[in-house]
Amino acid sequence: MKKSRPPVAFFVTMLKFSCFHTFLVMISLGVTLAENGYSQETCSKTVTLSINNQDVRTALSALEKMARVKFSYDPAIVPRKQVNLSVKGEPLSVALEKLLNPLRLSYTVTGKYIILMKLPENSGTGDWNADIPFVPPLRELKGNVTDEKGDGLPGVNILIKGTQRGVITDVNGAFAIDIPDENVVLVFSFVGYLSQELAVGNRTSLEVLLQVDEKSLEEVVVVGYGTQSRETITSAISKLDTRVLENVPYANAATALQGTLAGVRVQTTTGQPGAAPRVIVRGGTSINNPDGASPLYIIDGIIRSDMNHINSDDIESMQVLKDAASTAIYGARASNGVVIITTKSGKAGKMQVSYNYSLMTSEVGQFYDLVSARDFIKFYRLGVAASAEKTPARLSLLTQATSGGTGNDLSNTTGYTTQYLSAANEHKLKEGWESMPDPLDPSKTIIFQDTDWQNIFYKTGISHNHTLSASGGTERATFNVGLGFFKNQGTALGTDYTRLSLNSNGELKLKENLKVFSRLIYSKTFQNGVVMPFDRDRAQTVAPTAKYRFEDGSLAPGVNRRAQNPEYVLNSQSNKDTQDNLTVAVGSRWDLLPGLSFEPQVSIFTTIADSRYFQKAGYLAGPVTFNDTRSASASYAKLIQYQTDGVLSYNTSFKNLHNIDAKLGVSYYRRERSDLTASGQGAASDLIPTLNASSTMVSITGSESHQALLGYFSRINYDYDQKYLLSLNARYDGASNLGERHKWGLFPGVSVGWNMHKEAFWSALPRQISQLKVRGSYGINGNIGGLGDYQAQGVYGVGLRYGNNPVIANTTLANSELQWERSKTIDIGVDAGFFGNRINLLFDHYRRVTDNLLTSLPLPHSTGFGSILTNLGSLENKGIEIELMAKVFQGNSGFQWNVSLNASKVKSKILSLPPNGVENNRIGGFNVFDPGKGDYAWLGGLQEGGRIGDLYAYKQLGIYATDEAAAGAPTDMIIPLADKTKYGGDVNWMDVDGNGIIDTRDRVYVGNTFPLWTGGISNYLSYKNFNLAVRLDYTTGHIKYNWSRAFMLSYYGTLSSLPSEIHDSWQNQGDQTAIPRFFWADQNSQSNIARNGDQPDSGNSLFYEKGDYLAVREVSLSYIVSSRISGKMKISNLTFHVTGNNLHYFTGYKGLNPEDGGQESGGYPLPRNIIIGARVTF
Amino acid sequence: MRQYIRKYVAVLSAVAAVFSCSGPLDLEPVSSISNASFWKTENDANGVLFAMYQRLRLQYEGNFNMMFWGEGRSEALGNNFGANENSIFWDNQLSKSNPGPTWTGLYTIIHHANLILKYVPGIAFTSEANKNNLLAQAYTMRAFLYYTMVKTWGDVILLTEPTEGFTPESVQKERTVKEKVFEQIKQDLDNAINLFPNNNFQAGRFLWSLPAALTLKADVYLWTGKRLNGGNADFTVALDALNKAENSDIALLSDFASVFEYGNKGNKEILMAIRFQQFESSENWGRVTYMNPGQIRPDFDEETTEAIGTTGTDGGRFSISEITRAQFTEEDQRKKATFYEVYTTDTAGNRQFYTAFCTKFKGFVNGGVRVYFDDMVVYRYADLLLLKAEAKNALGQDPSAEINKIRERAYGSNSPNHVFVAGSKEQNDEAILKERLLEFTLEGKRWWDLVRFGKAFDLVPSLQNRKEQDHLLLFPISESTLSLEHKVKQNPGYE
Repeated sequence: MKKSRPPVAFFVTMLKFSCFHTFLVMISLGVTLAENGYSQETCSKTVTLSINNQDVRTALSALEKMARVKFSYDPAIVPRKQVNLSVKGEPLSVALEKLLNPLRLSYTVTGKYIILMKLPENSGTGDWNADIPFVPPLRELKGNVTDEKGDGLPGVNILIKGTQRGVITDVNGAFAIDIPDENVVLVFSFVGYLSQELAVGNRTSLEVLLQVDEKSLEEVVVVGYGTQSRETITSAISKLDTRVLENVPYANAATALQGTLAGVRVQTTTGQPGAAPRVIVRGGTSINNPDGASPLYIIDGIIRSDMNHINSDDIESMQVLKDAASTAIYGARASNGVVIITTKSGKAGKMQVSYNYSLMTSEVGQFYDLVSARDFIKFYRLGVAASAEKTPARLSLLTQATSGGTGNDLSNTTGYTTQYLSAANEHKLKEGWESMPDPLDPSKTIIFQDTDWQNIFYKTGISHNHTLSASGGTERATFNVGLGFFKNQGTALGTDYTRLSLNSNGELKLKENLKVFSRLIYSKTFQNGVVMPFDRDRAQTVAPTAKYRFEDGSLAPGVNRRAQNPEYVLNSQSNKDTQDNLTVAVGSRWDLLPGLSFEPQVSIFTTIADSRYFQKAGYLAGPVTFNDTRSASASYAKLIQYQTDGVLSYNTSFKNLHNIDAKLGVSYYRRERSDLTASGQGAASDLIPTLNASSTMVSITGSESHQALLGYFSRINYDYDQKYLLSLNARYDGASNLGERHKWGLFPGVSVGWNMHKEAFWSALPRQISQLKVRGSYGINGNIGGLGDYQAQGVYGVGLRYGNNPVIANTTLANSELQWERSKTIDIGVDAGFFGNRINLLFDHYRRVTDNLLTSLPLPHSTGFGSILTNLGSLENKGIEIELMAKVFQGNSGFQWNVSLNASKVKSKILSLPPNGVENNRIGGFNVFDPGKGDYAWLGGLQEGGRIGDLYAYKQLGIYATDEAAAGAPTDMIIPLADKTKYGGDVNWMDVDGNGIIDTRDRVYVGNTFPLWTGGISNYLSYKNFNLAVRLDYTTGHIKYNWSRAFMLSYYGTLSSLPSEIHDSWQNQGDQTAIPRFFWADQNSQSNIARNGDQPDSGNSLFYEKGDYLAVREVSLSYIVSSRISGKMKISNLTFHVTGNNLHYFTGYKGLNPEDGGQESGGYPLPRNIIIGARVTF
Repeated sequence: MRQYIRKYVAVLSAVAAVFSCSGPLDLEPVSSISNASFWKTENDANGVLFAMYQRLRLQYEGNFNMMFWGEGRSEALGNNFGANENSIFWDNQLSKSNPGPTWTGLYTIIHHANLILKYVPGIAFTSEANKNNLLAQAYTMRAFLYYTMVKTWGDVILLTEPTEGFTPESVQKERTVKEKVFEQIKQDLDNAINLFPNNNFQAGRFLWSLPAALTLKADVYLWTGKRLNGGNADFTVALDALNKAENSDIALLSDFASVFEYGNKGNKEILMAIRFQQFESSENWGRVTYMNPGQIRPDFDEETTEAIGTTGTDGGRFSISEITRAQFTEEDQRKKATFYEVYTTDTAGNRQFYTAFCTKFKGFVNGGVRVYFDDMVVYRYADLLLLKAEAKNALGQDPSAEINKIRERAYGSNSPNHVFVAGSKEQNDEAILKERLLEFTLEGKRWWDLVRFGKAFDLVPSLQNRKEQDHLLLFPISESTLSLEHKVKQNPGYE
């Protein structure tokens, strides 16, 4: 199964797509690196020129041509003046001095660019017309710059005050500078630290300690189309603490949001490597697919529907905009919240190269607890006999070649090992087979082999993650390059996810007021999913008596598609599933006037999914049928998204009190989706897995569809001295897929805030409260998430045939009235700080009402359509969110402990539904006896005043201990047999209406599939060079129908294994237990367990389990090698860590994964990961 | 300052130019067709015509709805081993929570028929005959579907217009009494019969044609004659229609098995069949009635192994019941062509019945696997003959000629031993009903035959002690239907 994935192709693709981008990055790199070398060269170019009484600009352009240089300057500083200049074969520097000194201008050279600057007014009193005399330096001054911890700070700017002369500290924070005289004052500056000025005096060395600029620590939050300080934010925005991203190599970075942000519900629904978790903000706004109401993702300004295949190491920041006022600027599709992600980019002044590696081992977090083969055979045979009491034909199963039947032999034609002992097979007992008396006829001996299929299906996954990044820059150009390689092996046989990723961006200051940037984010992924589905009886739960290998040593195939040998299946398939994801963006920032800027961005986002599948010949449906159909298929799906944004920003202050920040923008978005799929069969051999080998064409299909959105938006933020805050947002959006008359919608938002701690009266209040902001917001958002591209127009679909004639079928009912789903959110919040902001609190209470819900309304069966998409009714989500951050211990002791806690609660209620003449305008539901009313009523389903996701089931009161006890049982109409007699071991159902009959009207409410509370707790402890992170998260209130458990206990599929719980089942008269008697195919016998097929409603109440859990999500211990040691190795930072991920769930839930409400039908168990890693920065 | 304003205006107008093109939001579908651009040409009409048949075929594949409505509840079927997942039908244990298939799929076809009947008259065709042929098929299809539904549920919602506009109120409809439904069925059939240009079959015999419409008409009139007190008037109409239908290119094939053979689709016995084709549809119910590969035992004798041959991936989900198998005689060539009994030998050397699998629809072997793509017969000449015998007997005429035609084919050289001689009306009916069982087992007709003859409570073991519970002759309406169709009430007796 090894596949070669040449990285060459990866780079070729990258280069193909990114010519312009690469070019720009090269320029930035070139400029940054070459600056000093080239400056000398440029200045020494000789020029000959004579200018009389010409404008300064003319003189400059003449020099540009002569010396092949470019001047860059703010036009305001170059006076409109006539000048004379005459040079003959003199260096450019001399010419420049002659020209510029009288104008009180200085210059610096950056490669070919010469940047003109105004000399400070107070800079020297010398005669600038004269040549600057060469002043020999007085002496050399050496020194060190350190931070609070005493670590050397590299890259600190040191400038002799009043001049352009200066140096930068080296990797260890050391510097040396020539001092012209003793009056020199040095200015030390570094991003994030307070600048410091020091008079040198007669010192020859200096130790400088820079203080952290507290103001720079103030949280800056990325909001739509801009950033804002937490101090002035008036809406509900949560920001991820990026420490979460450091130690766990996430195949999908959305997983990092789990339990870390209030109001964001993240559920991992599968352990498949690379699979996206479910992300739902504030409960979502959908009535029929609440779990599909995913937020909008904005990655570096580019709108996406997911954040798949992004390397978490490339992420600079992640925040979630939750209320309508903050999301209104993305109005059209923002109802379900907006996740804004920015990727890393270079910073001026810092140059660093870092490498990050981690090794991860993954184990299955939770196995099924299954019986041994011995117990399996026992219960199988007893269960068949029990079923045969009412259906005697069943007895033949005991002698058939079934999992517990004795019709098997040692040949390759039977799938199980179970058989009676005979002369022909007794040698197997010496080869590890076991024996037991037939529980139905102890005179006979059954022999069998016990195979632990979970052990075959799962193994330890080994994953490697490498990230190499380099970034740096100057005032003029910055760049960042990140390369990642992640090979993530799953715990299930044959599953993995491999990602090659590249993130590269550069920014160049072309002129003082014009910057250009470009970004490229590329990833290529390879994914292998499970070879066979996980549902219930497959793979994990194959009966333990199934043959693993035949006598000739070949792998046994299993008995049919539902109970196969996973190793056999893996070997019989050849699959490929790859995806290319590319984002290319080019943009600019153009400062038009002081305070006014224009920022355009053009981007393309494209994904190409390329997959193929080949089924080799083999025994695919059991050991007797050799299938050489050799199905092959291939598909190619492409998505291209074009997006153009232009934003005008203006900010200004009046009297230093009135601060205004305004934006006006336009955004155009167009998406094209296309795909091609073909399948064939009948290849002559297994050797070629691609379609060209097929001899018969099975199908070919292809399609294309488009969507376009156009939006105009604006925001005005105003504050008065940061005390009184106001923010107005609006977006006017149009979408191509809405009904003709409803294409456009206006989505406004307004929010206000009051920083009370800035008021004069605050000093009178207790000092413990250091900060208090109250805020409120209201806004309207839109959503068209569930709407197909042409759904409003009605669809006649093609692709089917009847007798070779093409079919055109009316597949979608037109609804030209389809319009924007609108949600209105009111949000009241408090941001508070206590004890000098050692404790910070964010609190929000909100109510969101979504009207015109885009909902697929089930239609009466007689319409001939299953449903129609409508704007139906309204839904209310109400909730509270709390985020609390505390610095518990801090400071001098060296021990630090930070805790952050978050909790959120959301409750949904259906407010209205379209009138349909039924009470509460109910759709669907259960007709049951309502003891409250004392009458039958329709409960559940969708009805006004109700909730989504209510489950109803038959209530198990107990198990009849004896036949006598069962004699008086109510008649159970769900038993599908004519003979409905109940016996000991059958369930005593609650007869809710007390009519002596158990039917569908006797179901009761057993819970709701959606959680009430979600949240998490993060602890960060550090002592000296050690850091410990402990993250927990929890979810409560959801109920899960444990169908896997019910499925096995009822032997529903008649092929699976049995759970160990069966030992507790009723077996003899008088047994007191909660588990009913075991029947082979209980659903066709006494219907004690699965009473409504595989549907999540109307089962036995016993299997509706609480999903409440507290997960130990991450425990990570890291060690930073002290700078004394790492400094010697020229390393600025070296960190090692050991991390455990998904370590444990505290839960009462008995299935595999408590996270996801609803129904458990097997599934890929979540892995428990142990990671060791190292990060080194040069 | 002026230059900035100029720059500014230039930028803004450039932006405006990009976005101001007239309709960036007016997108037409590429890979599908919208309502607005449809119903313009003959091709559109033909596409929907085949959609109608393709969706009818869905009722014969997948969950095999037609099998369960038309035959599931009769005495013809029974459990195979322990697999009794469908025993709810032959045990007659249907209830509102276990109601059998819903009518959703049938109304989808009716919607398409209604679309054709609404829009085709307004489209120009290359020839008027083509147009009439198409309309005639839509009428026949609608009649066939309402007939199927009225037999299954009694009163049904009668729609003669397609579902187009939508309001929550407008889609709620009450059921129409069955007499009215039959009026519509009969009117549709008369329209169809007038519109079909000739008495020929369409190529392949998998589309409705005049002979098929006439046979359907006879079937309908026999039902109303017997179940709705239509009496002789209806029987006369039925007989007349059958005589007209018979006047077409049809014949009985001498080899009974060859009627159903994959390689003999559209043969002369077929009046109307549902076309099955690999890569176009999924398999027919041969898939679940043939031998299950998991039930094959190493100790089968050679003859049995040969008779089974290659199996498919499924099978043995239900079988022909013992009482039905027992009615076939060895001399009847239909026995082998309908089922095969498998015996095993136990350790004591005794021959023991093991299972029976159905051989009527055995498909063909493809890539080492049996696949089931035989056409499913809706009407064939043998059906026409026995309907004719039934009509004649109802009118007091001698039905023996038709019955003997069937028997001659069935018993071949042994037919002199099986000559039918007319007896009393009841005896004749009994003979006709039994002949229909032997002839049509597994073709999805037995339950309706039993109901039409009024013999369900006599012949179905699971109903024998439930006489007078007449509601059992209809199916219950599913709870999911009821919860969506507020004006529909449950069939009495099933509440």
